[in-house]
Amino acid sequence: MTFSMKRVLAIFNKDLKDLSKNMFVSTSILMPLVLAAIYGRMAEDLSIESYYLVINLAFTMTATFIQCAIIAEEKEKNTLRGLMLSPATIPEIFSGKSLVAFLLSIVTIVVSSIFMEYYPENVALVAVAIVVSTLFYIALGTLLGLLARSVVEASVIIMPVVFLLGFGSFIETLMDKYPILHFAEYLPNLQLIEFATKVQAGSGLTDVWSHLSVITAWFLIVSFLTIVIFKKKEIDA
Amino acid sequence: MEQIIKVKSLAKFFGNYPALEDVHFEVNKGETFGFLGPSGSGKTTTIKILTGQLLATSGDAFVFNQPTASLNKAKYRRKFGVLTDNSGLYDRLTIYDNLKLFCDLYDVPAKRINNVLEMVNLENEQKKMVSKLSKGMKQRAQLARAFLHEPELLFLDEPTSALDPANSKHIYDGLRELTKGGTTIFLTTHDMHEAETLCDRVAFLHKGKIQLLDEPKKLRRQFSDSSLQVLLKDGRELLLPGGPNGAKALYEHMQADKVVSIHSNEPTLGDIFVGITGRELV
Repeated sequence: MTFSMKRVLAIFNKDLKDLSKNMFVSTSILMPLVLAAIYGRMAEDLSIESYYLVINLAFTMTATFIQCAIIAEEKEKNTLRGLMLSPATIPEIFSGKSLVAFLLSIVTIVVSSIFMEYYPENVALVAVAIVVSTLFYIALGTLLGLLARSVVEASVIIMPVVFLLGFGSFIETLMDKYPILHFAEYLPNLQLIEFATKVQAGSGLTDVWSHLSVITAWFLIVSFLTIVIFKKKEIDA
Repeated sequence: MEQIIKVKSLAKFFGNYPALEDVHFEVNKGETFGFLGPSGSGKTTTIKILTGQLLATSGDAFVFNQPTASLNKAKYRRKFGVLTDNSGLYDRLTIYDNLKLFCDLYDVPAKRINNVLEMVNLENEQKKMVSKLSKGMKQRAQLARAFLHEPELLFLDEPTSALDPANSKHIYDGLRELTKGGTTIFLTTHDMHEAETLCDRVAFLHKGKIQLLDEPKKLRRQFSDSSLQVLLKDGRELLLPGGPNGAKALYEHMQADKVVSIHSNEPTLGDIFVGITGRELV
């Protein structure tokens, strides 16, 4: 199977032009940025949980929601079929379709971190975790976009994701009272908080690799499901 | 003659509803093959199966000697172009930007965009946003996208359904140019004029089954009753039967210098379709 950067960039350029004229993109990015600006002025020294409340919200709003809406719109307007029938391969279509959401997410997270004055102890290590998390959230957005029949439906099915993964750190406070909620410890958002907390305390890769592995596993599982669903959508039964 | 499409005993059921049943046909390289039938007769289902978008329930369908299920490989996708009612365009982009994307996907130089827009009479509209186009202009832009990469085989599902006669004629000229260059066209339509103008052979599809398949000329001859329509100078129109009686009557009218015009009474493809299925082509 070939991989053509020309085709990836063609899809990326198209999305960039298309989304620059799309209101839901700018409004989705604004929410975490506004929250970060408010948090940054609320206290001198915010907790890691506070930083990652904004960062996880940025993931769900920018990576997952935008990606989900992009894919759902392609399906709704029958343009995804054009890509499927072209010589572009699945990795080329996914890479091209994910680049805009990836760049927007990274920029939103970096700007939000600056607003909140969050400076990790080990920037490189945190950057790796942020990148892997971004890939997971984009894969999740793609999966949900393939399942949604329209942009309106996409904006509805994204709500549980925003609640569970965007505001998921609230679940931690309920775990002692409701032990059943301990499953949430393995969610990628809480794994990222654990990861960042340990890094901020001075831990190195050997102490945090398990958290990174769990996030990577989430990415791989969701990517696999996304490819299976995409292949099913390629040929109707 | 090389066959580009081969279909044997093809059937497609949606639940218990038979969309296609026991369909057989071949399409030769370079010909324009018309699949004619009213809405819901199975035309789009056939295109979807032939382009690998839909699985058949049973039977075999081969395109470029490959089972249609394997058409998802890039080397085959380059060889065909598709226009169906679900060939969407990006509304917030211009016609040019839409086509530029597909130039890059198919490795086609961008200068080809002007050629295809000329063929569909949109060369002056290329900077227009797709959302601002009329239905007919959108259909022409979709058509331009379908043959942008100069495919060997074109699937066109009612390509002129939203076009006015002048633009339809422009498209017909463009499609004839393509077939001169060796492109094979698989065309579905319920427009009999379009079929007669473009198709080398036609198949009549009704309730998922092929009722007739031949050249339009041969079908008209086959269903002709050899009668003649005669217009007389006094304004009367006569329908004279074939054979000695008709010939005698015609001779008498001509002897008396009463005849303005004589036409053979061949049926149109539409008449033939109605004759064999008992329903109109809409």
